[in-house]
Amino acid sequence: MLVDSDVHVGYETLLDLCDYLDAPTRELVVHSGTNGLGMPTYPWYHPTGWLRRDTYDRETTGVGAQLPGQDLQRVQEKLLDAYDVTYAILTPDEAAAFAVLPNAELAARLCRGYNNWLLERYLEEEPRVRGLLVVTPQHPEAAAEEIRRLGHRDEFVGVFLPGGARVPYGSPVHEPLWRACAELALPVAVHTHFEGVGIAGPVTAAGYPDHYVEYHTLCGAGMYGHFVSILCHGVFERYPGTRVIMMEGGLVPFVGLLWRLDTNWRACRSEIPYCRRPPSEYVWEHVRFTTQPLEEPSDERLLLPAIEGLRPWETLCYASDYPHWDFDEPTQTLHRLPAEWRDAVAHGNALSFYRLGAPVSA
Amino acid sequence: MSPGRAREARIPLAHAPGPGAVRIVEVGMRRVAVFCVDGRFHALADRCPHRGAPLCSRGQVVTGIEVRDGALATGPPDALVRCPWHKWDFEIASGRCAVDPRLRVRRYTVEVDDDELVVSLSNPP
Repeated sequence: MLVDSDVHVGYETLLDLCDYLDAPTRELVVHSGTNGLGMPTYPWYHPTGWLRRDTYDRETTGVGAQLPGQDLQRVQEKLLDAYDVTYAILTPDEAAAFAVLPNAELAARLCRGYNNWLLERYLEEEPRVRGLLVVTPQHPEAAAEEIRRLGHRDEFVGVFLPGGARVPYGSPVHEPLWRACAELALPVAVHTHFEGVGIAGPVTAAGYPDHYVEYHTLCGAGMYGHFVSILCHGVFERYPGTRVIMMEGGLVPFVGLLWRLDTNWRACRSEIPYCRRPPSEYVWEHVRFTTQPLEEPSDERLLLPAIEGLRPWETLCYASDYPHWDFDEPTQTLHRLPAEWRDAVAHGNALSFYRLGAPVSA
Repeated sequence: MSPGRAREARIPLAHAPGPGAVRIVEVGMRRVAVFCVDGRFHALADRCPHRGAPLCSRGQVVTGIEVRDGALATGPPDALVRCPWHKWDFEIASGRCAVDPRLRVRRYTVEVDDDELVVSLSNPP
């Protein structure tokens, strides 16, 4: 059995959402500017391409297409069937950028259209896939409304938030979002995406990186900010049923962060009395991590000691990141981990985290 | 008995520490800190079990901050001593570290004997 916790799907261009948008938003998408509504995007060009070369037809790809040729059939063929995936958790591609649009009202309407599109095009068609709701952290009340609108559907198993953000996610401004998630018992997935883009803060305080390779090495920094913020603001004390999964932020950095945070908590806990216990204790109960991209030390023997501090046997969930260029194939990934961890990482931890039921056959 | 081998020290009650204060006494070769919390005297070793800092002589007596019924509140007044180096808190009455249950400050016996406080190196009851 295999649960893939990070499979990106999306539209080719924003125009694909037109049938799912309200009329005024559709007008904006079609007629804004000279070539439709442009979304904020990365300022770096990926030197070798964002996608796995065998997941799209380069010859038929139009300029500006985000996920060319991506549709359910291709996901089934290239991923679900190819790797015998029991469940795939669908994460957004460009739609993650709705969360960093300055126009929060527009972003909320785009989220609504995208979630409807995802439901109809993927989730209602294929029992092996589950969705994450795209919402607007820059407009927490609208995010809560969207979570309550669709969060009760079995097809949605969580809420997606990108690493790029205006305010760290533990901040009280996000309380409506956390409250809605708690009401519907939905976990939150924080996934590196769009750091330094739109209204999001810079990738790091060092200033803007010049190259994509720098960005992709540093992109977990936003997630670390959210991770620490969520722990220090006592989200798990206020909402004891809340779960959070950190996606694609690496594993080794979280080990050191937790050590440092626990130490700082001992000295500074009078500042955050709502964080009653050492922060790491909340992590074991409430937080999970995805494998991809599993760090690749030149000496492979260094990997396991470096990640053991995250208790991977109970916190780690396999993820491929299909169809992106740094895709991690499941068998090879799992065989880099000890045999006694594999069932938990391949499916056990994710089934429990997403409260997924008995597997289904396509 | 030489001062270095003494097992107890006496302080006039008039010089005993009040709430929030500390009085350091030498007992034999040990530096012992005497505190008063909620009207009761307590004696602790002047050494932090974390990294060996002079916990009591250079530390600070503080009141904890906690959450009660969902709101910020203060704990028992002047019940903690905060290490001067890493700022970890210890409960004066028990010696327990408030942030790491594996750690505890050595406690000593302190009793009132007429108009004196008697601090001894024996374990407290």
